[in-house]
Amino acid sequence: MKIGVFGKGGIGKTTIAAIIARELARRGRPVVALDCDTNPNLGIALGVPPERTERLAGIRQALGEGKVEHAPVAAELLERFGTDAPEGIRLAVVNRIENPNPG
Amino acid sequence: MRVAFVGKGGSGKSTIAGTIARLLARDGAKVLALDVDTLPGLAFSLGMGKIGDGGLPEGLAEKREGKGWVMREEISAEALVDEHALDAPDGVRFLQLGKLPGRVRPGSTTAFRHVVDSFRRPGWSLVGDLAAGPRQGSFGWAGFATAVVLITEPTAAGLLAVGRLRRALPARAGTVLGLVLNKVREARPPALEAAGLPVWAEVPYDEAVAAAEREGRAPLDVAPDGPGVMAMRELLSALRDADPGTITA
Repeated sequence: MKIGVFGKGGIGKTTIAAIIARELARRGRPVVALDCDTNPNLGIALGVPPERTERLAGIRQALGEGKVEHAPVAAELLERFGTDAPEGIRLAVVNRIENPNPG
Repeated sequence: MRVAFVGKGGSGKSTIAGTIARLLARDGAKVLALDVDTLPGLAFSLGMGKIGDGGLPEGLAEKREGKGWVMREEISAEALVDEHALDAPDGVRFLQLGKLPGRVRPGSTTAFRHVVDSFRRPGWSLVGDLAAGPRQGSFGWAGFATAVVLITEPTAAGLLAVGRLRRALPARAGTVLGLVLNKVREARPPALEAAGLPVWAEVPYDEAVAAAEREGRAPLDVAPDGPGVMAMRELLSALRDADPGTITA
Protein backbone atom coordinates (compact mmCIF):
# COMPACT_ATOMS: atom_id res chain seq x y z
CA MET A 1 0.00 0.00 0.00
CA LYS A 2 1.40 3.41 -1.00
CA ILE A 3 -0.63 6.41 0.13
CA GLY A 4 -0.04 10.05 -0.75
CA VAL A 5 -1.84 12.75 1.24
CA PHE A 6 -2.39 16.07 -0.53
CA GLY A 7 -4.16 19.36 0.13
CA LYS A 8 -3.97 23.05 0.85
CA GLY A 9 -2.04 24.26 3.87
CA GLY A 10 -3.49 23.89 7.32
CA ILE A 11 -6.22 21.41 6.46
CA GLY A 12 -4.66 18.49 8.29
CA LYS A 13 -2.55 16.54 5.76
CA THR A 14 0.19 15.87 8.29
CA THR A 15 -2.16 14.94 11.12
CA ILE A 16 -4.16 12.52 8.97
CA ALA A 17 -1.06 11.02 7.32
CA ALA A 18 0.44 10.36 10.76
CA ILE A 19 -2.73 8.74 12.08
CA ILE A 20 -2.94 6.47 9.01
CA ALA A 21 0.73 5.53 9.39
CA ARG A 22 0.43 4.71 13.07
CA GLU A 23 -2.81 2.83 12.61
CA LEU A 24 -1.26 0.67 9.85
CA ALA A 25 1.82 0.03 11.97
CA ARG A 26 -0.32 -0.85 14.97
CA ARG A 27 -2.01 -3.51 12.85
CA GLY A 28 1.32 -5.11 12.19
CA ARG A 29 2.35 -3.64 8.86
CA PRO A 30 5.85 -2.34 8.27
CA VAL A 31 5.44 1.40 7.55
CA VAL A 32 7.69 4.02 5.99
CA ALA A 33 6.53 7.58 6.59
CA LEU A 34 7.90 10.08 4.08
CA ASP A 35 7.57 13.77 4.78
CA CYS A 36 7.61 15.47 1.36
CA ASP A 37 6.57 18.90 2.66
CA THR A 38 9.19 21.68 2.55
CA ASN A 39 7.91 22.55 5.99
CA PRO A 40 8.30 19.06 7.47
CA ASN A 41 6.26 18.37 10.60
CA LEU A 42 5.25 14.74 10.10
CA GLY A 43 7.64 13.64 12.83
CA ILE A 44 5.84 15.66 15.47
CA ALA A 45 2.48 14.27 14.42
CA LEU A 46 3.86 10.73 14.59
CA GLY A 47 5.12 11.36 18.11
CA VAL A 48 8.80 12.02 17.42
CA PRO A 49 10.13 14.81 19.67
CA PRO A 50 10.31 18.20 17.87
CA GLU A 51 14.10 18.49 18.37
CA ARG A 52 14.67 15.13 16.68
CA THR A 53 12.20 15.97 13.91
CA GLU A 54 14.09 19.20 13.31
CA ARG A 55 17.46 17.43 13.05
CA LEU A 56 16.43 15.11 10.21
CA ALA A 57 18.27 15.95 6.99
CA GLY A 58 16.36 16.28 3.74
CA ILE A 59 17.29 13.34 1.51
CA ARG A 60 17.06 15.42 -1.64
CA GLN A 61 19.38 18.10 -0.23
CA ALA A 62 21.83 15.50 1.03
CA LEU A 63 21.96 13.84 -2.38
CA GLY A 64 22.27 17.21 -4.10
CA GLU A 65 25.18 18.19 -1.91
CA GLY A 66 27.08 15.07 -2.88
CA LYS A 67 27.05 13.53 0.58
CA VAL A 68 26.06 10.28 -1.08
CA GLU A 69 28.46 9.08 -3.77
CA HIS A 70 26.28 6.93 -5.98
CA ALA A 71 22.58 6.43 -6.30
CA PRO A 72 21.73 4.27 -3.32
CA VAL A 73 18.70 2.07 -2.96
CA ALA A 74 15.72 3.34 -1.02
CA ALA A 75 16.37 1.11 1.97
CA GLU A 76 19.85 2.52 2.30
CA LEU A 77 18.57 6.09 2.22
CA LEU A 78 15.98 5.30 4.87
CA GLU A 79 18.61 3.70 7.04
CA ARG A 80 21.00 6.56 6.66
CA PHE A 81 18.71 9.60 6.80
CA GLY A 82 15.65 8.25 8.59
CA THR A 83 14.77 7.94 12.21
CA ASP A 84 12.63 5.54 14.23
CA ALA A 85 9.15 6.74 15.09
CA PRO A 86 6.61 5.08 17.42
CA GLU A 87 5.08 1.66 16.54
CA GLY A 88 8.19 0.75 14.54
CA ILE A 89 7.59 3.31 11.79
CA ARG A 90 10.64 4.51 9.85
CA LEU A 91 10.42 8.24 9.14
CA ALA A 92 12.42 10.20 6.56
CA VAL A 93 12.27 13.78 5.30
CA VAL A 94 12.53 14.28 1.55
CA ASN A 95 12.94 18.07 1.40
CA ARG A 96 14.29 20.55 3.84
CA ILE A 97 14.98 24.14 2.88
CA GLU A 98 17.32 25.52 5.46
CA ASN A 99 20.31 27.61 4.57
CA PRO A 100 19.26 28.89 1.20
CA ASN A 101 21.24 30.79 -1.33
CA PRO A 102 18.94 33.64 -2.30
CA GLY A 103 18.85 35.04 -5.82
CA MET B 1 4.73 50.50 4.67
CA ARG B 2 6.18 47.53 2.81
CA VAL B 3 4.99 44.41 4.56
CA ALA B 4 5.23 40.71 3.67
CA PHE B 5 3.09 38.04 5.30
CA VAL B 6 4.70 34.64 5.64
CA GLY B 7 3.72 31.51 7.55
CA LYS B 8 2.70 27.90 7.52
CA GLY B 9 -0.14 26.82 5.27
CA GLY B 10 -3.52 27.70 6.67
CA SER B 11 -2.12 30.04 9.31
CA GLY B 12 -4.14 32.96 7.95
CA LYS B 13 -1.67 34.92 5.82
CA SER B 14 -4.21 35.85 3.14
CA THR B 15 -6.98 36.63 5.60
CA ILE B 16 -4.84 39.02 7.60
CA ALA B 17 -2.94 40.48 4.62
CA GLY B 18 -6.17 41.34 2.80
CA THR B 19 -7.65 42.98 5.87
CA ILE B 20 -4.49 44.98 6.59
CA ALA B 21 -4.39 46.17 2.96
CA ARG B 22 -7.95 47.49 3.15
CA LEU B 23 -7.53 49.03 6.60
CA LEU B 24 -4.48 50.90 5.29
CA ALA B 25 -6.44 52.11 2.30
CA ARG B 26 -9.36 53.22 4.49
CA ASP B 27 -6.88 55.32 6.42
CA GLY B 28 -6.02 57.11 3.20
CA ALA B 29 -2.96 55.22 2.02
CA LYS B 30 -2.39 54.14 -1.56
CA VAL B 31 -2.01 50.37 -1.37
CA LEU B 32 -0.71 47.75 -3.76
CA ALA B 33 -1.72 44.27 -2.61
CA LEU B 34 0.30 41.43 -4.07
CA ASP B 35 -0.70 37.79 -4.05
CA VAL B 36 2.47 35.83 -4.65
CA ASP B 37 1.06 32.59 -3.28
CA THR B 38 1.08 29.56 -5.54
CA LEU B 39 -2.31 28.71 -4.06
CA PRO B 40 -3.85 32.16 -4.27
CA GLY B 41 -6.38 33.41 -1.76
CA LEU B 42 -5.82 37.13 -1.27
CA ALA B 43 -8.57 38.13 -3.73
CA PHE B 44 -11.15 36.53 -1.42
CA SER B 45 -9.98 38.29 1.71
CA LEU B 46 -9.81 41.62 -0.13
CA GLY B 47 -13.46 41.18 -0.99
CA MET B 48 -13.09 40.68 -4.75
CA GLY B 49 -15.37 37.68 -4.76
CA LYS B 50 -13.35 35.37 -6.98
CA ILE B 51 -9.83 34.12 -7.57
CA GLY B 52 -8.03 34.07 -10.87
CA ASP B 53 -7.89 37.61 -12.24
CA GLY B 54 -5.25 40.29 -11.93
CA GLY B 55 -2.27 38.41 -13.26
CA LEU B 56 0.49 39.70 -15.48
CA PRO B 57 0.39 38.21 -18.98
CA GLU B 58 2.85 35.39 -19.36
CA GLY B 59 4.06 36.99 -22.60
CA LEU B 60 5.80 39.71 -20.60
CA ALA B 61 8.38 37.15 -19.52
CA GLU B 62 10.67 34.89 -21.48
CA LYS B 63 13.19 32.20 -20.71
CA ARG B 64 16.72 33.08 -21.77
CA GLU B 65 19.67 30.80 -22.14
CA GLY B 66 21.70 30.89 -18.96
CA LYS B 67 19.55 33.57 -17.32
CA GLY B 68 16.31 31.78 -16.64
CA TRP B 69 13.04 33.69 -16.72
CA VAL B 70 13.39 37.44 -17.24
CA MET B 71 11.12 40.28 -18.36
CA ARG B 72 11.04 40.48 -22.13
CA GLU B 73 11.36 44.26 -22.23
CA GLU B 74 12.43 47.01 -19.91
CA ILE B 75 9.19 48.14 -18.40
CA SER B 76 8.78 49.91 -15.11
CA ALA B 77 7.02 48.23 -12.23
CA GLU B 78 4.81 51.32 -11.94
CA ALA B 79 3.70 51.00 -15.56
CA LEU B 80 2.92 47.32 -15.08
CA VAL B 81 0.84 48.07 -12.01
CA ASP B 82 -1.04 50.85 -13.80
CA GLU B 83 -1.82 48.62 -16.72
CA HIS B 84 -2.52 45.28 -15.10
CA ALA B 85 -3.50 45.70 -11.45
CA LEU B 86 -7.18 45.37 -10.62
CA ASP B 87 -9.24 47.66 -8.43
CA ALA B 88 -10.16 46.05 -5.14
CA PRO B 89 -12.52 47.52 -2.51
CA ASP B 90 -11.47 50.70 -0.66
CA GLY B 91 -9.23 51.69 -3.55
CA VAL B 92 -6.66 48.95 -3.06
CA ARG B 93 -4.85 47.94 -6.25
CA PHE B 94 -4.36 44.21 -6.63
CA LEU B 95 -1.88 42.10 -8.57
CA GLN B 96 -1.86 38.33 -8.74
CA LEU B 97 1.68 37.10 -9.22
CA GLY B 98 1.35 33.50 -8.10
CA LYS B 99 0.96 30.68 -10.56
CA LEU B 100 -2.47 30.50 -12.06
CA PRO B 101 -3.05 26.97 -13.27
CA GLY B 102 -3.53 26.84 -17.01
CA ARG B 103 -2.72 30.51 -17.44
CA VAL B 104 0.85 31.09 -16.31
CA ARG B 105 3.65 28.65 -16.79
CA PRO B 106 5.59 27.82 -13.65
CA GLY B 107 8.86 29.68 -13.88
CA SER B 108 7.60 32.77 -15.67
CA THR B 109 6.45 34.16 -12.33
CA THR B 110 10.04 34.44 -11.15
CA ALA B 111 10.50 37.16 -13.76
CA PHE B 112 7.69 39.10 -12.12
CA ARG B 113 9.57 39.30 -8.85
CA HIS B 114 11.22 42.37 -10.30
CA VAL B 115 7.84 44.10 -10.16
CA VAL B 116 7.64 43.44 -6.47
CA ASP B 117 11.20 44.54 -5.82
CA SER B 118 11.30 47.66 -7.92
CA PHE B 119 7.92 49.25 -7.25
CA ARG B 120 8.91 52.54 -5.63
CA ARG B 121 6.03 54.94 -6.02
CA PRO B 122 6.19 57.62 -3.33
CA GLY B 123 3.47 57.40 -0.72
CA TRP B 124 2.43 53.87 -1.63
CA SER B 125 2.29 50.89 0.68
CA LEU B 126 2.93 47.32 -0.41
CA VAL B 127 1.21 44.37 1.19
CA GLY B 128 2.46 40.97 0.01
CA ASP B 129 0.87 37.59 0.67
CA LEU B 130 3.56 34.93 0.20
CA ALA B 131 3.29 31.20 -0.39
CA ALA B 132 3.24 28.86 2.57
CA GLY B 133 6.46 27.42 3.86
CA PRO B 134 10.08 28.53 3.64
CA ARG B 135 10.56 28.29 -0.12
CA GLN B 136 9.55 31.77 -1.30
CA GLY B 137 11.03 33.57 1.64
CA SER B 138 14.34 31.92 0.97
CA PHE B 139 14.34 32.74 -2.73
CA GLY B 140 13.90 36.45 -2.41
CA TRP B 141 10.17 37.03 -2.69
CA ALA B 142 10.16 38.84 0.64
CA GLY B 143 12.96 41.11 -0.55
CA PHE B 144 10.62 44.07 -1.07
CA ALA B 145 9.54 44.13 2.55
CA THR B 146 10.76 46.36 5.33
CA ALA B 147 8.48 44.52 7.76
CA VAL B 148 7.96 40.77 7.71
CA VAL B 149 5.02 39.34 9.62
CA LEU B 150 5.36 35.69 10.59
CA ILE B 151 1.88 34.32 11.16
CA THR B 152 1.26 31.17 13.12
CA GLU B 153 -1.48 29.37 14.89
CA PRO B 154 -0.61 28.67 18.51
CA THR B 155 0.65 25.15 17.86
CA ALA B 156 4.00 23.37 18.20
CA ALA B 157 4.12 22.74 14.44
CA GLY B 158 3.34 26.39 13.77
CA LEU B 159 6.18 27.58 15.97
CA LEU B 160 8.60 25.13 14.34
CA ALA B 161 7.58 26.62 10.99
CA VAL B 162 8.26 30.09 12.38
CA GLY B 163 11.79 29.02 13.30
CA ARG B 164 12.35 27.58 9.82
CA LEU B 165 10.95 30.63 8.09
CA ARG B 166 13.09 32.88 10.16
CA ARG B 167 16.22 30.95 9.23
CA ALA B 168 15.18 30.92 5.59
CA LEU B 169 14.66 34.67 5.37
CA PRO B 170 17.90 36.41 4.44
CA ALA B 171 18.80 38.81 7.25
CA ARG B 172 18.75 42.34 5.92
CA ALA B 173 19.47 45.62 7.59
CA GLY B 174 16.39 47.79 7.82
CA THR B 175 13.92 44.91 7.93
CA VAL B 176 11.95 44.18 11.06
CA LEU B 177 10.38 40.84 11.94
CA GLY B 178 7.42 40.21 14.19
CA LEU B 179 5.03 37.47 15.10
CA VAL B 180 1.26 37.25 14.86
CA LEU B 181 -0.55 34.53 16.73
CA ASN B 182 -3.70 33.74 14.81
CA LYS B 183 -6.86 31.84 15.69
CA VAL B 184 -5.98 31.91 19.38
CA ARG B 185 -8.56 30.14 21.50
CA GLU B 186 -7.04 29.93 24.93
CA ALA B 187 -3.53 29.96 26.29
CA ARG B 188 -0.36 30.79 24.42
CA PRO B 189 1.76 27.80 23.39
CA PRO B 190 4.61 27.04 25.80
CA ALA B 191 7.37 27.40 23.19
CA LEU B 192 6.33 30.92 22.21
CA GLU B 193 8.95 32.79 24.19
CA ALA B 194 11.67 30.70 22.55
CA ALA B 195 10.78 32.22 19.18
CA GLY B 196 12.46 35.37 20.44
CA LEU B 197 10.34 37.67 18.28
CA PRO B 198 8.09 40.54 19.28
CA VAL B 199 4.42 39.54 19.24
CA TRP B 200 2.76 42.24 17.15
CA ALA B 201 -0.74 40.89 17.64
CA GLU B 202 -2.79 38.04 19.01
CA VAL B 203 -5.80 37.48 16.83
CA PRO B 204 -8.50 35.49 18.60
CA TYR B 205 -10.41 32.73 16.89
CA ASP B 206 -13.46 34.48 15.50
CA GLU B 207 -16.37 32.47 14.13
CA ALA B 208 -17.36 35.42 11.90
CA VAL B 209 -13.88 35.44 10.30
CA ALA B 210 -14.16 31.68 9.80
CA ALA B 211 -17.54 32.23 8.16
CA ALA B 212 -16.01 34.85 5.85
CA GLU B 213 -13.31 32.34 4.88
CA ARG B 214 -15.94 29.68 4.20
CA GLU B 215 -17.83 32.02 1.91
CA GLY B 216 -14.80 33.57 0.20
CA ARG B 217 -15.62 37.03 1.53
CA ALA B 218 -13.57 39.72 3.20
CA PRO B 219 -13.55 39.64 7.02
CA LEU B 220 -13.87 43.42 6.86
CA ASP B 221 -17.17 43.07 4.98
CA VAL B 222 -18.55 40.31 7.20
CA ALA B 223 -17.47 41.26 10.70
CA PRO B 224 -15.75 44.67 10.75
CA ASP B 225 -16.26 45.10 14.49
CA GLY B 226 -15.66 41.51 15.55
CA PRO B 227 -12.76 40.49 17.77
CA GLY B 228 -10.75 39.11 14.83
CA VAL B 229 -10.79 42.30 12.76
CA MET B 230 -10.29 44.42 15.90
CA ALA B 231 -7.07 42.52 16.60
CA MET B 232 -6.01 43.07 12.98
CA ARG B 233 -6.48 46.81 13.53
CA GLU B 234 -4.12 46.50 16.47
CA LEU B 235 -1.66 44.70 14.24
CA LEU B 236 -1.78 47.60 11.82
CA SER B 237 -0.86 50.07 14.53
CA ALA B 238 1.94 47.78 15.75
CA LEU B 239 3.20 47.66 12.16
CA ARG B 240 3.10 51.44 11.92
CA ASP B 241 5.27 51.64 15.03
CA ALA B 242 7.70 48.96 13.89
CA ASP B 243 8.05 49.40 10.13
CA PRO B 244 10.83 51.77 9.10
CA GLY B 245 9.95 51.50 5.45
CA THR B 246 7.52 54.27 4.61
CA ILE B 247 8.24 55.35 1.07
CA THR B 248 8.97 59.04 1.21
CA ALA B 249 11.19 59.76 -1.76
